[in-house]
Amino acid sequence: MTPNTLIDTSSSIGLPAPVWFIELFKALGFTLHQVPMHLWYAGIVLAMLLSVFGCEHGRRCSGRLMVQMPIIVALGVNFGIVPLLFIQVGFAPLFYPATILMAWFWLSIIVLMIPAYYGVYVYAFGLAEESPMAVWKRAAGWVSALFFLVMGFLFTNGLSLMENVGGWMELWHKQSIHGAVLGLGLNVADLRLWPRWLLTFGLALTTTGAWIAVDSSWFARRETYEYRAWAKRFAWRVYTFGVFWFLLAGSWYVFGTWSEELKQEMFGRSWGVLTGLTIMAPAGPWLLLWGVGRQQDDIGKSRAAFIGLAQFVVLGLYAANRQLVQHLTIRPYYDLTAQPTTVQWSPLVAFLVTFVLGLGVIGWLLRELARLPAEGKSEAA
Amino acid sequence: MHYPWWYVPQATAPMLIAAISVIHVLISHYAVGGGLFLAVETTHAYRTENRDYLAYLKRHSRFFVLLTIVMGAITGVGIWWTIGLASPLATQVLIRTFVFGWAIEYVFFLLEIVSAFVFYYYWDRLPRRVHLASVWIYGLSAWASLVIIAAITAFMLDPGTWPVNRCFWAALMNRQSLPQIVARTGGSLLLSSLYVYLHAAITIRDQKVHSLVESRATRPALAGILMVAAGGALWFVNLPGSAQSALIAAPVLNVFMGLLFLTAGIVVFLLFLGPCLNPGWTAGPGFAASLFLFGIIAFSTGEFIREAVRKPYILYNVVLGNQIFPEEVARFREKGYLQSGVWTRAYVVKSHPEAIINGRVDTKKLLDLPREERTRIGGVIFQHHCNDCHATSLGYAPVAPLVQGWSPRMIRSLVTDLEHVRFTMPPWSGNDDEAELLTDYLTSIAPARPAGMLPEKIQK
Repeated sequence: MTPNTLIDTSSSIGLPAPVWFIELFKALGFTLHQVPMHLWYAGIVLAMLLSVFGCEHGRRCSGRLMVQMPIIVALGVNFGIVPLLFIQVGFAPLFYPATILMAWFWLSIIVLMIPAYYGVYVYAFGLAEESPMAVWKRAAGWVSALFFLVMGFLFTNGLSLMENVGGWMELWHKQSIHGAVLGLGLNVADLRLWPRWLLTFGLALTTTGAWIAVDSSWFARRETYEYRAWAKRFAWRVYTFGVFWFLLAGSWYVFGTWSEELKQEMFGRSWGVLTGLTIMAPAGPWLLLWGVGRQQDDIGKSRAAFIGLAQFVVLGLYAANRQLVQHLTIRPYYDLTAQPTTVQWSPLVAFLVTFVLGLGVIGWLLRELARLPAEGKSEAA
Repeated sequence: MHYPWWYVPQATAPMLIAAISVIHVLISHYAVGGGLFLAVETTHAYRTENRDYLAYLKRHSRFFVLLTIVMGAITGVGIWWTIGLASPLATQVLIRTFVFGWAIEYVFFLLEIVSAFVFYYYWDRLPRRVHLASVWIYGLSAWASLVIIAAITAFMLDPGTWPVNRCFWAALMNRQSLPQIVARTGGSLLLSSLYVYLHAAITIRDQKVHSLVESRATRPALAGILMVAAGGALWFVNLPGSAQSALIAAPVLNVFMGLLFLTAGIVVFLLFLGPCLNPGWTAGPGFAASLFLFGIIAFSTGEFIREAVRKPYILYNVVLGNQIFPEEVARFREKGYLQSGVWTRAYVVKSHPEAIINGRVDTKKLLDLPREERTRIGGVIFQHHCNDCHATSLGYAPVAPLVQGWSPRMIRSLVTDLEHVRFTMPPWSGNDDEAELLTDYLTSIAPARPAGMLPEKIQK
C-alpha cells in the first residue's frame, strides 16, 4: 500500500481562487507572521535571560521587549491566520490528516497559548507597575518563554508531518483504536523535524536582533544615548549568533535530511538562485548592523528602517523557499496545480477592496499616532 | 470518510467544538456589544465632560482588552482548530466556500486589534476626535465581523440555493442569515450590559458613578432583549422542517428549550426588578453576578440548541453527520462503506489483506472471519459512521445503553434503517455485509436487559 492511498483528492468543491493567489497570500501572510512570531519565539527567551544575566542596558532592553510583547503577540496571532487559512484552502487533504494524527498535541497549542499570552501581559504590567517585580510575575515571563518554545515545536511537528506522508501509516497504526486515530502521534521519528525547529529559532534570533536595532532608533527616543549605542552593538551580536545558528541548523536540514532529488531541484538551474539568495540574504542585515555598530553616531531612523526592510526581505525569501520545498516534498502525493479551480471573482474583488480600505484606515490611525508629540507617545507602541 | 476519524473517549470529538465554542461566544459577543457600548459611552462621556465616567470607561477598557483580545482571539482560533480536527470535511467545505468571507472578516479582525490598542494605550494622549474615531472603528469592525460569521454559521443550517448554484453570495445571504444577525447583535448588546453590571459592581465605589453606569448599560440591555426576541422568532420561522421537528421531538432539546426560556425569563425579570424598578441593586456583586450567571446559561443553551437542530447534518443538506456528502450515500451503499472510505479501506488493506480482491474490499470475505475479527471490523465501521454523535458505552449519547437488551435482529434492523428510525440520524451508508459486521459489534457492547423486569416473567 502506498502512502498516496491515505490522501483524498476527490473533493467536489474546487479551489475558490487561482493557485498563484493562494500561494501569494500564503507566502505573504507567512512572511508577515514571522516578524512577531520570531519576536515571541526567541525574543521572550532572550528578554528573560537578559533580565537575569544582563547588564543595566541589557535589563532595559529586556524590559522594552517585554512591554511591547502583548502587542507583538496580538499581531502575531492575527497575521498567523492568513497562512493557516490559505494552507487549508490549498492543502486540506494533507493538512487535516496530519493534524488529526497529532490532534491532542495540535489542540494543546491553543491551551498553551492562553497562559503564555496572559503571562506576557502579567510580566509587562509587572514591569510598568512594580519595582522590584513580584516573583510570580517573573515566573509568568519564564512560563511564557517556555510555552512559546513548546508551541513552536508542536507547530513544526504539524507542518513537517504534513509533508511526511510516508510516516502517517506507522503513526496511525501505533495510535489508534478500531482504525480511529487517538491523536497522540508526534512526528519525532522524522529527522527533518529537529533541524527545522532549530533553524526557525536561529532565524528568530536574527529577527530579534534586527528588531532591537529598529526599536532603539524608532521607539526609544527617551532612552539614553548610551543605551542606544549599546543596543546597536548588542543587536549585531544577537544577529551574528542567530546567523550562525541558522546556518548550522540549516546545513543539517539541507545536507542531512533532504533527498538527492530535492537537493538537485533546489540547487539546480530551476531554483538554485532562490536557494542561494535565501542562504545569503541574512548577510545583508548583518552587514548593515555591523556597519552602524562601527559608527559613533546614532543608527538613525532611515538606516534602522533599511535594516528592518532588509530583514523583511530575508523572511520573504525564506517563506518563498519554504513554500517551494513544501511543494517539491509533497509533489509525489498531491499536486496543488492539478486541483479543479472555480474562481469566486466577485468575492475576491470584494476582499481586495475591503483589504485596501482596511489598510487605509490602519494607515490613517498610524499617521495620527505619528503626529503625536514625542513625549506623548506610548512606550508600549 | 474522506479523512481520519479522531476518537475522543466518552465526549466524542465534536463535543470539544461545543466546549470551546461556548467559551468563545460568551467572549466574542461581549467583544461586539462591549465595543459598541464603549463607543457610545465614550462619546457620551466626552460630550458631557464627565471625567469620573471617563475614568471608569478607561478601567473597563483595560478589562475589555485583556479579555477580548486575548481570550476572545485565542478561543476563536481554537474553534477553527477544533472543527478542523473533529469535522475536517465540513471545515474544508466552509473554508473553500467562504475563503473570501473569512478573508474579509480577517481584515475587520485586524482593524479591531489595531483600533483597540490605539483606543486603550493612547487614552489621554490622542485628540478626542481621533480617540473617538478609534473606538468607533473598533465597534463597527467588531459588528461587521459578527455579520460575516453569523451569516456563515447560518449557512450551516440553511445553505439556501448554494448546493445548486455554488454561488458565494447565495450562500452568504441565506434565510437564516438575517435572523441570526439580528439575534446575535441583540445578544451582544444584552451580554455586554451584563458584563458591565458585574464589572461595575466589583470595581466602582462611587455611588453616583455607579448609578450612571447602571442606567446607561440598561438601555442596550433592553434593546438587546427585543432584538433577541425578534431574531429568535425569525430564526424559528425560517428553520427547516426537520429542525423544527427536532426541537419538539428530541427530549434533550425539550429540556434545553425549557432551560433557555426559563433562564432568559429570569434575566428579563431581574433586569426589570433591578435596574428598571430598583436602580442601585446591581451595585451588589451578588445581584450582578446572578444576572450574569443566568445570562451566560441562557446564551450557552441557545448556542447548543442552534448547533443540535442541524442533525443529521453538519452542514445542512451538504455534509452529513458521518462526514460524507449526501450524494455519496448511494455509492457507499453500492461499493461498501469500508471500500469507499479512504482510511477505512486502508485499515482493511493493512489488517486483512486476504479480503482485498482485485484491489477492492470484499466484504463477504470479512464475514467469513472469526467472530472476534468481525466484531473488530464492526468497531471500525462504528467509529467512522457513528462516533460523530455517539460515544461507545459511556459519555455523550452512548450507543450501548441505547441498544441494551436488543436482539441482533433488532439491531440489524435499526442499522439498515437508521434515517427512518430517527430522522435526526444519517442514512446507513454501507452494504448488507457491513450491516452484519456493525451488528456484531453493537451486539458485543450492548448490555443485557436488566433482570427482574415484567416482560421476562411474561415470556417465562
